[in-house]
Amino acid sequence: MNEQTNTTTVWMCDKCQKALMSQKVKVRYLEGNFEVELLKCPECNMVFIGEDLALGKILEVEKSLEDK
Amino acid sequence: MDLDKLLDISNQCIHSEPPTCVASCPVHMDVIAFVSEIEKGDFAKAYKVMENKIPFSRLIGKICDHPCERVCVRENCGGSIRISELEKSVIDLGYMPPKKPLLMPKTKGTVAVIGGGLSGCVTAVELDKKGYKVTIYEKTDRLGGSLWAHEGLEASLIEEELSTIEKKGISVVYTTEVTEQTLQTYLQQYDALYLGTSEWSKHYTIHPQTLQVDDSALFVGGKLQTQNPSVIFSASSGKRAAVSIDRYITKTSMSASREREGVFETKLEFKTDNVTPVESVEKTSAYYAENEAIQEAKRCLKCQCTECIKACVHMQRFNITPDSYIRSINHNERIVLGTRSANLMINSCTECGLCKEVCPIGIGMKEIIHATRQSMVERKKMPLSAHDFALKDMQFSNSDAFSLIRKQPSKEASKNLFYYPVIAFSAYARGLYKGSSKTGYLFYPGCQLSSTHTEYIGDIYKHLVGAIKNKDADNDVGLYLGCCGAPADWAGRLDLMPESIEKIHKTWQEMDEPTFILACSSCAATFEKYLPMIKTISLWEVFDTYGLPEVDIKKGKRELCIHDACATRHNSKLHQSVRHIVKTLGYTIQELEYSKEKAKCCGYGGLVSNANPEQAEDFVKDRIEESEHDVLVYCAMCKDALVKGSKRAYHLLDIIYGNEVNQDEPQKMPTLSERQNNRKRLKYKLLKEIWNEEESDMSPSYNFTLHLCDEIVALMEKRFILLSDVEKVVEHSLTHKERFFNPQTSDYLARLRVQNVTFWVKYEEQGSDITVKDVYSHRMEVVED
Ligand code: SF4
Ligand code: SF4
Ligand code: SF4
Ligand SMILES: [Zn+2]
Repeated sequence: MNEQTNTTTVWMCDKCQKALMSQKVKVRYLEGNFEVELLKCPECNMVFIGEDLALGKILEVEKSLEDK
Repeated sequence: MDLDKLLDISNQCIHSEPPTCVASCPVHMDVIAFVSEIEKGDFAKAYKVMENKIPFSRLIGKICDHPCERVCVRENCGGSIRISELEKSVIDLGYMPPKKPLLMPKTKGTVAVIGGGLSGCVTAVELDKKGYKVTIYEKTDRLGGSLWAHEGLEASLIEEELSTIEKKGISVVYTTEVTEQTLQTYLQQYDALYLGTSEWSKHYTIHPQTLQVDDSALFVGGKLQTQNPSVIFSASSGKRAAVSIDRYITKTSMSASREREGVFETKLEFKTDNVTPVESVEKTSAYYAENEAIQEAKRCLKCQCTECIKACVHMQRFNITPDSYIRSINHNERIVLGTRSANLMINSCTECGLCKEVCPIGIGMKEIIHATRQSMVERKKMPLSAHDFALKDMQFSNSDAFSLIRKQPSKEASKNLFYYPVIAFSAYARGLYKGSSKTGYLFYPGCQLSSTHTEYIGDIYKHLVGAIKNKDADNDVGLYLGCCGAPADWAGRLDLMPESIEKIHKTWQEMDEPTFILACSSCAATFEKYLPMIKTISLWEVFDTYGLPEVDIKKGKRELCIHDACATRHNSKLHQSVRHIVKTLGYTIQELEYSKEKAKCCGYGGLVSNANPEQAEDFVKDRIEESEHDVLVYCAMCKDALVKGSKRAYHLLDIIYGNEVNQDEPQKMPTLSERQNNRKRLKYKLLKEIWNEEESDMSPSYNFTLHLCDEIVALMEKRFILLSDVEKVVEHSLTHKERFFNPQTSDYLARLRVQNVTFWVKYEEQGSDITVKDVYSHRMEVVED
């Protein structure tokens, strides 16, 4: 989970009207706690996860944690 | 879980048992590998297979007296495989000179071999390989003994092969006769002694397994020991003596795991009932020509027990049989750190029980898999995502949204029906009129039938009241909507069973122990397992006994094949009732090869469609390929699975209620969301129509309208996302403005965590119209701070 491929995006925060920035974010699943670079709104901290990431890397990590 | 007991079962599996030919070959040449290479035309590899087990294979292969052929199971189907002829031809076509031997230091000990005949040469070579310094004492001036007397061997070949012995560094002392008198001196001189002469002056008692004489350093083999002229028995005894001598000198157990040396009895009983006889290939010259050998090799049946894997697409997908399956489970269970790589496999068994039915020794994976899943749950090692959706759906069924228990409407409450002509024409009204307020029967349709065949439930209930009360006025018929707990059982979640089971049990006691009428085969299995005190009867037996609903039946004329529900495999009464009903309705039945006790699973069992959808598809595909005909089922899940596999399938209720119509229209099954909605609707409808109770609609209302195209609906199904999840995400994003915006496409993307899943919805907003463009989810939790 260390690499995050898309570091820029056209998506922006609708509430804050801010462009998203890549920042370290805490994620967790089962026994696993990680820090990963993800896109988020610099103001309200809402984190963006695209379909590719959710069904790619994230799913892969979920599965491997489940089998640990 | 008792893993050692499990491994015992794995050892009983005869999948890896050798065929009779191999067991009867004193040196266990791997006949199946051998003929398989020939079949591929790879004679060099075939020779390697021979060489692997047969010492001096280039010689013995030409003169072996082939005891293997006498027991070949092909014998009565065209004649035994001509293994020895194949060996001759393989030597001819595939022999390759051995690589120059590496001369290794011989430091393990010294051995004298008395007699340079075949068995002596074999022992010498085997011991040399193991690192012993070997000396052969031969009374004549050449090695080979009786080999020279064989007509099938050219002298030059014998010479060439035996010359390798001295090249390896084995010493040969020629023209030296050893006698009983001088033997003792040799015994002093060497660590061990092998006696392989064809005759000897003294009679020794030889241990049949180790070939040892008493506890001494003397070992006897060859014809002295075998007492028969067979070359292959002689060679085998030479090999075995070498093993014994090695164990003797290294002081390891003389007898441990040697039961299967030499000829033994295999546990494999290969059935040839369905084998087409094929005559053996006649050779047209001295040896089989390449092509003839290939043809002969093809006749070999490659005898092996594969009954279970032939019947089960789960084992096929993972290319595994119970012996290795159990070893993987054992490994998976014992692992402390690292990946439990068998998890997916363990969650891909439908727990259908077919393997046990087809196994000649009755090994079944169902109970083993079930115990394994329970153990995984107990140790908190069960992958959460495997069964999460199904368990939440079960929770829904047992919530107020669906769960319902009612006695038959009382006579008092039904007064308004008891007037002419209703009472004359409606058996249901007459049934209510006879109300005894003692619930003798409780109709339990189950959650799946209610989800997918919602419209029938009310009619069935009314019919049951009419038909049962007509013959049995004492007993009222009540109704119970809920989920029996089968999903929790399949998931190994014993902790969740009481939720269903205890409620059912309590209700049963409070209602004075009514008989449950079950419409779902999985409910029946669950009741049998967890509620054995409750008397149950299948809806189909009730129909068969008390009569079918009187609907305007256009008698069917078609042929349907019956797909029995795997959970009913041992319920022959039920199978009979179903067939009787189908025939009464005018259909003819085609019985599938795998039916009744050998029914194959539709792929829903064991929650496989949740844990491994691709595996579930295998089951469907395998099942529907069995027949061209449309399929008749009597389990709601079977119908769902088969229809999803694009097979025309009818539920028994479809033909009972005359709905086997519109045969050109594609069949469709309700989506996961529709199923929940149907259950809610059913409860609402039955309460209103039968018990006159009005419930307020509990579904939330939103002030937006969702638009979902077919592709999105399909995506939601595939990703196990419910409409209610999508609604929650959109609602949350609209009220809190928590969403992302894409200025290029003007789409919004919003997320919401519902319990343990984060759902994402991409949509377009136009006024109150929300058009969904994408949905996905993940379980990983993002900490937003
Ligand atoms: S058919 Fe083939 S595998 Fe079976 S006993 Fe004969 S030679 Fe052996
Ligand atoms: S799916 Fe059925 S036949 Fe296959 S291993 Fe499991 S219980 Fe046995
Ligand atoms: S049917 Fe399967 S489990 Fe039974 S002995 Fe044969 S290979 Fe083993
Ligand atoms: Zn923001």
